[in-house]
Amino acid sequence: MNNSEYDIRLIEKFVDNEISEEELTIVNKRLLTDTDFKLLYLQEKTIIEGIRLQGLQKDLLYLKDIEKSISAKKQTPNRFRWYYAAAASLICALGVWVYQSTSQSPEKLYLAYFKPYVSIEATTRSNINPTERTVAFQAYEQGDYKLAATLFKSLLAENKEPGILLLLGNANLMLDNTTEAKNNFITLYTEFDDYDIQAKWYLGLCYLKSGDVEKARTIWKELGETEISYAIKAKELLKKVD
Amino acid sequence: MIQNELLSKIKNGGQAELGLIYEEYRLEFIQWIMKEYHCSIDDSKDIYQVTILIFYDNVRQGKLERLVSSVKTYLYGIGKNIALETIRKQNKNTPIDQEKWFKEFLIDETEITLEEDKAQAVKNALLKLGEPCRQLIELFYYERKTMEDIATQLDYKNAETAKNQKCKCMARLRKIVEREFTKLTTAISHEQQ
Repeated sequence: MNNSEYDIRLIEKFVDNEISEEELTIVNKRLLTDTDFKLLYLQEKTIIEGIRLQGLQKDLLYLKDIEKSISAKKQTPNRFRWYYAAAASLICALGVWVYQSTSQSPEKLYLAYFKPYVSIEATTRSNINPTERTVAFQAYEQGDYKLAATLFKSLLAENKEPGILLLLGNANLMLDNTTEAKNNFITLYTEFDDYDIQAKWYLGLCYLKSGDVEKARTIWKELGETEISYAIKAKELLKKVD
Repeated sequence: MIQNELLSKIKNGGQAELGLIYEEYRLEFIQWIMKEYHCSIDDSKDIYQVTILIFYDNVRQGKLERLVSSVKTYLYGIGKNIALETIRKQNKNTPIDQEKWFKEFLIDETEITLEEDKAQAVKNALLKLGEPCRQLIELFYYERKTMEDIATQLDYKNAETAKNQKCKCMARLRKIVEREFTKLTTAISHEQQ
């Protein structure tokens, strides 16, 4: 082994933490006194730093791919955006009506406050050769919640759309499938971003319907702290169950 | 996930584990950085990605054998520094320079400033090195796998064989890097003429 090879091997052992006490003393001394040795050492460190930078860049790309897939999962089609406006107007109308209600029992409060979420998607579509999707929305609109729920489930199996999950939860509530409805709203709230407020509102109603007033109260407290139309209703319900 | 379990997952795992950890703290961290430092959603995600990779690397390099606080606190500590520096130095409309953060992090570790062209030269050299040498070297220097793990993963007879192979691969890489650096020097001198 010539001097240069010996030096490289020594440096490699040094950077890999495999060096003996005796060798370490030699390395430390030569790093201070031998310019060529120091250059070899700096080159080795540069290579290792380059390897690590390359690794970090590769892992960064991997994280960016994960981020893309998370964001894509949470993307909502534009056609569902109008639901927010529909929900707000529904809740305002509901509020006036409910305000007159004097009943305090959970079951009666549920009946007073629950109105299925309004969907107008079916009315905007052609009825010639209707697709499964069209039929599902028409069934929901016409109050055939059993058919609507079956078709919504089938649509969700193909593509998880938060707007459909919201309607499925409502259909289940109408069919008295409270546990299933609860699960729909929990999924909507935990896996998607677009209908958090609606999901919480209906989840609170699910708890009220099943007599779990404490859980309903927790949700309404959260909603009451927001600045949206549901907050007023949530505060009202909180007062009534207290 | 229990803290020690998580550290051991990072040390023994690969990209799949990195993905799991990324998702575990993602939402809470991004919401926190947006609220606390008024960062945009895109900047918050960029900060989170750098934060997770620095944390991940610290664990793998053995700088974090045990956590004195929770993983969350540790991540928030890294994220806070990046957010504050970003606010201080950068224009709000400029995206976060993630590579710059990695380089600064590596400088802290190695005390060597990796210049842009040299980083590119090493990258080119790694590509020219080919397999399985490239993978072996990455497993050893980036993922910090033991020779035993590398031998298992790359199907070498034993740790000693893997170690010998690593030395040979490094020798080849040094030669390629030298050629890349020479090209770089030639290019610079041509530009100056």
